[in-house]
Amino acid sequence: MPLAPVNTDVGMNQLTRDPYPIYRRMRRDTPVVRVEGVKRTFLTKAAHTKRVKDTPELFSSNDPNTPMQPAFRAHTLMRKDGDEHRRERMAMQMAYTPKVIKANWAQIYRDITDEYLSRLKKGDTVDLFREICGPVSARILVHILGLDGATDEQMMRWSQELIDGAGNFGWDPELFRITERANDEMDAHFGSLIDHHKANPNASALSLMVNAENPIPDSQIYANMKIAIGGGINEPRDAMATIIYGLLTSPEQLEEVRRQEAWGMAFEEGVRWVAPIQASSRLVLEDTEIGGFDIPKGDTVMTIQASANRDEDLFEDGENFVVFRDKNPHQAFGSGPHHCAGAHIARRTVGEIMIPALFDRFPNMRLPDPDAVRWRGFGFRGPVNLPVSLN
Amino acid sequence: MVKVTYVAADGTETIVDADEGSTVMQTALDNSVDGIVGECGGAMMCATCHCYVDDAWSDKTGPRQDGEDDMLECAADAVKPSSRLSCQIKLTDALDGLVVHLPQDQV
Repeated sequence: MPLAPVNTDVGMNQLTRDPYPIYRRMRRDTPVVRVEGVKRTFLTKAAHTKRVKDTPELFSSNDPNTPMQPAFRAHTLMRKDGDEHRRERMAMQMAYTPKVIKANWAQIYRDITDEYLSRLKKGDTVDLFREICGPVSARILVHILGLDGATDEQMMRWSQELIDGAGNFGWDPELFRITERANDEMDAHFGSLIDHHKANPNASALSLMVNAENPIPDSQIYANMKIAIGGGINEPRDAMATIIYGLLTSPEQLEEVRRQEAWGMAFEEGVRWVAPIQASSRLVLEDTEIGGFDIPKGDTVMTIQASANRDEDLFEDGENFVVFRDKNPHQAFGSGPHHCAGAHIARRTVGEIMIPALFDRFPNMRLPDPDAVRWRGFGFRGPVNLPVSLN
Repeated sequence: MVKVTYVAADGTETIVDADEGSTVMQTALDNSVDGIVGECGGAMMCATCHCYVDDAWSDKTGPRQDGEDDMLECAADAVKPSSRLSCQIKLTDALDGLVVHLPQDQV
């Protein structure tokens, strides 16, 4: 079989600005394609992205030599396979279950959301992205993780700096200096809380991990906490902003969502339409083939779930935000062993609490100028501002 | 072919002919049976393929797999002694006629 065709036109700048027209063309003309500008083989069809994620024996996450290692001061579970990954993941997974959320957190989340919303006044025009989406996500995460004392500003900065470091494929020393500082601060904060959690066991992730009968090493407890910070703020923030944008630019759909209380469906459609995590990479362990092309051992493939989520094979009118779909088999939370550990939390916090509370408090909220909303990102994507008139 | 009956939370029954070697989860997805999501594709990492094995069949489906207990804790609906992750029930001849009940919620 031939090797995948090579694309020398597309680069990071275009992908960061607006990848969707590029992905649509790739799905049509070159669904499996080597993108020189990113040095990865892009997979843009849903069947291919799912197969890769579901076949870790062939497509490995295990790659200790990515910038994630220095950025997180650890070889994290995100970059491991098999039993080692499962053990580290299950050490914190129990903190993220629907049961724990319902029993311990749901009321706290409602109170947090209400508190932040109550700072806003009807009649004002505010940037919801900055005032609500980020800070509420950060505050909720402090509780889930057991990071008492961390400020919203710290949580948001740590999250962003970890992400920037993990994406530092240019190995820019300045970016690693920034992550070093963030790691010093996080390590000190985690360390200061361990005695507290040992003395007061609770349902938070840190407490669960330090009080486990057979705990994972401290280094991996810290690494897990950083993964949760890196993955637990920007993603719910971006999902929330995307869903609000979708609903405000489609008043008939908003009306119907309200009538049916179909907030869960609005959530699923938002993360399908613009997946907060758009792409993932996997190392190819053996010579194989995808979509009629040879994929050599040692290649790195990128599953573009952003594109899989709009694949014409699965979705009608996939380019648009359409809440009431019969089926919505999106891959926004991935598939396989690395399926998002926070999926249940995201659905419950963003979908069941944050979005309904916002529309409940400001039922006549408007987005005066949808074109003023700027979208950004290749690996991670969402609006970077959301100026709405509250009413 | 193995016959599997899925009983939804509202009592609606869906009967499908499944391939031997497939799983209860995959068969549901292949036949568009509502009530099974199976978001992680059978990696035992999402608990969105939760089902209750009908009492008449629990001996034949056997015990839970290693690690299944922990993941069932993540299920959205109540976990009972008959709870299984349907991705971990492989269909064999012996399961021809299997009946599973689906929970109200998977996510």
